[in-house]
Amino acid sequence: MAVLELHQVKKSFGSGHKKVDALKETDFIADRGELIAIIGPSGSGKSTFLTIVGGLLSPSSGDVVINGKNLTDLNEKQRSQLRLKEIGFVLQASNLVPFLSVANQMKLLDKVKKGNMSEMDRNQLYEELGIADLLNKYPSDLSGGQRQRVAIAKALYSNPSIILADEPTASLDSDRAYEVMELLKNVTKQKKTTTIVVTHDIRLVDYCDKIYNMTDGVLTETEEHTNRSLVAEESR
Amino acid sequence: MFLAWQEIKKNKLRFTLITGVLMLVSYLVFFLSGLATGLADLNREAVDKWEASAIILTDESDKSLPQSFMSIDQLEDIDAKETAVIGQLNAIASQGDNKQNIALFGINQKEFLMPNVTEGRAFEEAYEVIADGSLKEEGFELGDELTLSSSDQRLTIVGFTDNARFNAAPVLYTNLSSFHQVKFGEAAEQNNDQINGIVVRDDSISNLTENDELESIEIETFIENLPGYTEQKLTLNFMIYFLFGISSIIVAIFLYVLTVQKISMFGVMKAQGISSSYLSRSVVAQTMILAFIGTVIGFVLTLISGAFLPAAVPVSFDLALMIIYGLILIAVATAGAVFSVLTIVRIDPLKAIGG
Repeated sequence: MAVLELHQVKKSFGSGHKKVDALKETDFIADRGELIAIIGPSGSGKSTFLTIVGGLLSPSSGDVVINGKNLTDLNEKQRSQLRLKEIGFVLQASNLVPFLSVANQMKLLDKVKKGNMSEMDRNQLYEELGIADLLNKYPSDLSGGQRQRVAIAKALYSNPSIILADEPTASLDSDRAYEVMELLKNVTKQKKTTTIVVTHDIRLVDYCDKIYNMTDGVLTETEEHTNRSLVAEESR
Repeated sequence: MFLAWQEIKKNKLRFTLITGVLMLVSYLVFFLSGLATGLADLNREAVDKWEASAIILTDESDKSLPQSFMSIDQLEDIDAKETAVIGQLNAIASQGDNKQNIALFGINQKEFLMPNVTEGRAFEEAYEVIADGSLKEEGFELGDELTLSSSDQRLTIVGFTDNARFNAAPVLYTNLSSFHQVKFGEAAEQNNDQINGIVVRDDSISNLTENDELESIEIETFIENLPGYTEQKLTLNFMIYFLFGISSIIVAIFLYVLTVQKISMFGVMKAQGISSSYLSRSVVAQTMILAFIGTVIGFVLTLISGAFLPAAVPVSFDLALMIIYGLILIAVATAGAVFSVLTIVRIDPLKAIGG
């Protein structure tokens, strides 16, 4: 069963002659264990797509279905709950809470999610992501790569079915960027999550199962990895 | 509470500054309340000592004891459980170069206005007085003979009492006949029925008298009409109320600035599904923690400072009132977090994601 489905989803901003179609009618399906890249230049509609999938923005028309629940049927509070339980976010600058140690970043999630992760699972997650020895450190003590690993741990904390990563490697050098993508690939496969990475960094497409190109609000799936060079060219 | 406390622990300097400001405001509030209580006590403690429910004065006296002149026979017009007559005279008592403003109370020894004696004995003979203990700090002692500015008679201090100041002047208590001699001199015989008022103890203060020339005044109203009392109290209370407002504004500004700095962080948290109400509760809890710490430190500092103040400073700490003011301070400071809460509610998580 598909974890995420978009049916005829469209998003427009403004009205009349100022109307802009940020996302044109889009159909999209993602299954468990898939790592998907959405590639495109700035302003192409990538972030609009991501925020609609994340339940942060309502589409002008169409349906977004996550694990059988249609987001348009949910109110703001229910969507907030759904984000908390079903979706993990990994953002560009990791956006960890600066005054919380790594351990407390997780403890905060325990508090708001009412502690749905056992200590054993938690420790296993820390080991898997290589952050077990960083638990007492604050975000300012961590390198960019370490911060993104902690951000991924936060995203995975409640075993979400979907991980949405917005430019997760933008602030990292190549080595750290590959390291983060390797990590995202591993957790996607091991935990059977659906991971969608929005990026304009074409170095990352080798790690992905599917690659979509976003241009002027039109989302198109490219051929499998044989067409990488074309993707790279288009995204420039 | 978790988020609030963790942030305070991590950013100690920042939050110490806010707590410091709140501490100073609470220190000032507590001190002003102590000063207000102390100054009020200066005016009213002799009256509080009566433990009376009302005082009967002449209608034309405009609630002023020294301006009320009546005959002791008018006691018959009063229908109350307990009554006590009082004559009052303001004067300057002097012994050598030592001069003091005093209030002389002429009373009947067997009535309830008779004060307790903390040192020496009660007056028995003519021209003997019991003096307020504050006169001891001014150099007066048992056995001292006092000259009054308005009389040739000399009064002898035979005892001291405590908490007996009226309108900021220490009280000298004597019997009515001595009072008449001091007040009227050679005309004392003709005026030996003259008093200024009748103090009453009763459960009800209505219908105490049917005499149109007399007015029954509730004790609290009588105190509020003491010269300068209400004006002084209002001034100090206004300062305290302004400080409540100021503390709320200070906290509102500090927290708003802190919240604005954290908009992006709050946006990300909201995008992750953490509710506005959780974040708002955290800010409110943080404010309460800071206000509580600041107020408690201010409270303790006030008590410590009070212990070292010279006796001449009219400060008196009413603990119950201070606790009420402390709670109000915490409440108004917490109200100052409202702007931050509104800011948090309005944060659009989309902007944090960059949508």
